[in-house]
Formats: sequence, structure tokens, C-alpha cells
Amino acid sequence: MINTKNIYKPLRAKLTEVIDESPLIKTFVLVPEQEFSFGTGQFIELSVDGIGEAPFTPSSSPQITDKLEVTVMRTGYVTEIMHALKPGAFMGIRGPYGRGYPVEVFYGKEVLILGGGCGLAPIRSLLYALEHIKDNLEKVILCYGSKTPTDCIYKPLFSRLNSIEKFEAYRTVDRSDDEWDGSVGVVTTLLNRIKIDLKNSIAVVCGPPIMMKFGTIRLLEMGYNDDQIYLSMEKNMSCGLGKCGHCMMGEFFVCKDGPVFRYDEIKNTPDIWK
Amino acid sequence: MQYLSINKEEWDKTIEQLLLSYTIFAAEDNEFGIDYEIVIPANINRISYNRAKPATSLKTFFLPVKENVTTDPSVKKQRIIIGAPNCDIHGLRILDEIYLDKDFNDLFYRERRENTILISIDCFEKQPHCHCTSYGIKPWASDDADLAAIMVDNLIILRVISPRGENFIQQFSLVKPLNDEKVISVIEKAHNTTESLLLETNKGLPDYKATGTIVKEAGREIWKKYSAKCVSCGACATICPTCTCFLLIDKEGFEKIKQLDACQYPGFQRVAGGEDSLFVLPERFRNRYMCKYVWKPEKFGSIACTGCGRCIEACIGKINKNELFIELAPGRS
Repeated sequence: MINTKNIYKPLRAKLTEVIDESPLIKTFVLVPEQEFSFGTGQFIELSVDGIGEAPFTPSSSPQITDKLEVTVMRTGYVTEIMHALKPGAFMGIRGPYGRGYPVEVFYGKEVLILGGGCGLAPIRSLLYALEHIKDNLEKVILCYGSKTPTDCIYKPLFSRLNSIEKFEAYRTVDRSDDEWDGSVGVVTTLLNRIKIDLKNSIAVVCGPPIMMKFGTIRLLEMGYNDDQIYLSMEKNMSCGLGKCGHCMMGEFFVCKDGPVFRYDEIKNTPDIWK
Repeated sequence: MQYLSINKEEWDKTIEQLLLSYTIFAAEDNEFGIDYEIVIPANINRISYNRAKPATSLKTFFLPVKENVTTDPSVKKQRIIIGAPNCDIHGLRILDEIYLDKDFNDLFYRERRENTILISIDCFEKQPHCHCTSYGIKPWASDDADLAAIMVDNLIILRVISPRGENFIQQFSLVKPLNDEKVISVIEKAHNTTESLLLETNKGLPDYKATGTIVKEAGREIWKKYSAKCVSCGACATICPTCTCFLLIDKEGFEKIKQLDACQYPGFQRVAGGEDSLFVLPERFRNRYMCKYVWKPEKFGSIACTGCGRCIEACIGKINKNELFIELAPGRS
């Protein structure tokens, strides 16, 4: 059956709340004008009317369908204007697009999540999804690293996670400040302190390309197999439909074939860490 | 293959009649060569037959350079395109794969495909850079188009290719079955002559299968050498019948303008924060070859270069991709 929907037309969504996460990061709470749902790890194209659009993975729970949250770092032309928006404004949403995290594959397993920097936004959505199915999981461990303590958003998330049965959350920073008394070092150093049953585990890596590269290498050194590692790839996803070509990574359209890939699917593709 | 015929004068009158209900585009001879023009009664006699490809590729009719994709996609008047060579007809396969894919059907593309009758032409000649046969494409269409039109003396011969073409042509009482073996043998002889000419003049050019391996294995020096004269103008991609990348531009009212883009433009893969995996020119240059000869065939099982040679003609740096392939051809020392 051929879909007769116009694939390029955005759905309007009302901005109901803007949460300041850090000087550079805000979370936008959006209420779409029509029913909208997404799978964790899928992304949307979020647009500012007449200005432009950019891809983001929602940071809220996929179980909540009447609203969604998108965490945006101010880093370019479109996000600069997004940051100036006030509640009451309307934004455009296209999607959801791509393959998200296959949570059904995680059933009965220990899930290790390795996150860095802005990667915490999609990870938060994944954590909500895993919390929802926690009875079917053995364990969920989050290892997260940010450049400095102030770069870490969703701070209450960590204490909340550590209070949930089967969940453990660890943080580190590249550079500490006067108030920081936690770990210092790159995120992979946190892997030395966790206990995990490798054979019954899957790992999820999400963060900047350099962190994804060294995170994956470290996981392989620990003994993870290629098909136990899931990566959330980041390219210039522009149309989200597998057509415009901007996000091509080898023969893959990251927007449609990904953005979540199992490492064995892409390990021979050149330039995946670029 | 079923052949029909109609007197050229009657055919021209038929086209004039068709103008009442169709928008017709045809490859026409003009002062610069051959290119598509919108047909009006005054230029029907300039429609070219048996000639090699028009300057513009067929994709332009299905993927306009710029269009608003948040408006009504319906096509108001059915279209007929006369004069598409088989290389361009073949090029539509990969466009169909991308734009008619089951998950995300592009309504604008689909409307145009469904409402266009494609009358191909047979090439009885070749242009300097034509090399379709090297990639397994004949210089005449036997599938994917609706009809093919050939001129022999004062007759227009129509080869029926699709059921839609058959239905379309049945409405014209002056079109009769062609039983003259002599005319058919003239066509077959012309086919053979053109095919031989193409094969002969492209001797040494690796076939499509070999191009993929060549591109994959080519070292950095080759890309540096051939990209040295590239000015990133994107002409190769713009004129290519199978390059389909685009950009979405936002307009007020959540409207989207879809505009053809090219991986040869700097910044094509730049992400927020400035990372750009195709920032360096030789890598950007290589990307187009990887896409056409390695990735697209792997992904879609369909060729992404039809051997039309337009990219060679359009390049202001006079970069000839066939020279690259001949330089790296297997067995060449």
C-alpha cells in the first residue's frame, strides 16, 4: 500500500516550556497538534518557521505520547534562533525517522550504556524506555563523561537512576572544578569499576565521534563482540527520508538505515568515526 | 518487439492534436545542438529523431532544480516527453528506487512519473563522450519507456515498449502495424552500426563492474591528481541523470523548498559544530565516484552511471572520468 502522506510537510507543535539545562543547552517541551509517537533512538527534524530545521533525537520517554522533549545545544544558525524562542511559539516536526534502539533485543540482558557530552539527550530517552521494561532486564549501567562538571545536564537524573532497582549510574569529567569530588578522566576509565556479565550483555555507545571511536575500541578490548555493540551515528541528516544524500556513510543512509547501527553492520564502512 | 508506422506529416499533425490535451516536451535541434523544448505547433518540425542525447538529462522533468514540496503535488495536465535516449531511460531506475521507495514515497515525483508518457528515441549516432555500451546499456530502449520513435525516410516508426504505450498509440487510427521487413532491417542495421561504433571508440574503458573495484582500490594520489582542476562547481552532479541529492530550504508557514544539491559543493556533509567529513577536495571528489560506482550499486543493485558522458562535457576543468578509469584499468601497466 502506497503512503499518500506528503513526506516533506512538517507537523506543527506548540512550544509549552523551555528548560535551561546549561548556558548552551535548553530542553524544549513540545505539544504536537496531531498524535505523534516515536521509538527511543529515532530522531525528528525540528524546524523554526521560515528559518531552518535540524535533526534531534527526543530526550523524553517514548511512552509519553501527548508531548515530547527535545534537548538542543546552541551550536549553529538554527539552534541559535531556537534558543531565543519563548513558550507559545510554534515549531515544526517531521518524523520520527530511522531505526532506533531495538529494546526488544535487550530483554534478559545486562545493558551497558556508554555516553558522552550531548549524547546524554538520546540516552535519557533510552533510560526511560529501559525503566519501563526493567522487569525484563538483568541490569542497566550508565557510564557518562562530560568535559567539565557544568557541561553535564540532567544532574538529578543520576541520583534518580541510582535509586532505581537494577540501575547504576557513574559520572566522570575530563577537567574537574573546585566543587567536583567525583571521577576525573575520559569516560572509558569508568569501565574499570563496573561488574558486568559480558556474555549476557549488550553495550550502547552514544556521544561525540571521538568518544564513540575510543569507547568502541575499549568495549572490544573488554571482550564484547561486534554484534553486542550498538552505536548511535551522527551525520548531517537533512531530509530524514533516505533521499537527499547528506548523511550518506558508505552505502548507508544514516537517517534511514540508522541512526542506530550494530557495530558489525558498519565496521567495514570507511570514515565512520569522522 | 512490435513495430508500428505512420507517415511523418501525419505524425506531426497527431502531435499537434495531442497538444490540446497534453503538455509535450521534445528533444529539438537548435543552434547549440539538441535539447528539450516545450512543443508548440510552430516547432513540431524541429523535433529530432535518431540523434544522440539532448544536452539536458531526463531527470529534470521529474526532479526540478527547485520546487515547493509543501504544495499540492497533483499534475494538472498529463505530459509526453519525446526524445529521451536509452541511457536516460535507464537512469530513471535509480531515481525510482530512491523516490518511490515503499517507506517514503515522494508524491511529487510519483505524480510526474505516473502522468508522463515516455517516447524514447533510438540513437543512430554517438556524441564524443557517449559510452553507454561500456556499462551494458544499448543505444536504443527495449524496456522502461512506453514507446520509441524512429524516423526512416518519410515514416515515423514506433516501437511498442510498455502496455501503457500500446494503449496510448491505439487511439490513433493512422498508426498501422509495420510489416515492411526492409524498414525493420534498416533499423536493426543502424542499431548494430551505432553499437559497434560505441564499442570501438570506447575500447579499453573498463565495464561497470570493474569501475567499482577500480574506485575502491584507487589510492589518494589518483584523487589528488584528478581533483586538481576541480573548482567544486557541481556541474557534473547537476547534469548527471542519476545524481539526485537535494537540500530542503525553509520558508515561512512551514513550507519547504526542495533544491537540487551536489556532494561536490563544500559543506555538503557539514554538521552542527563545523565537522565536515568531505571538507578536503580530493575526498569530496572521490565521494562522487564512490557513490556512483560502489555505494549506489551495492545498495540498490542498480547502476548509477549510465555512460551518457554529460559530466565530461559539462566540466569546466576538463576532467574526464573515463581517462581516470582507463589509467587504472586492470592489466594496464
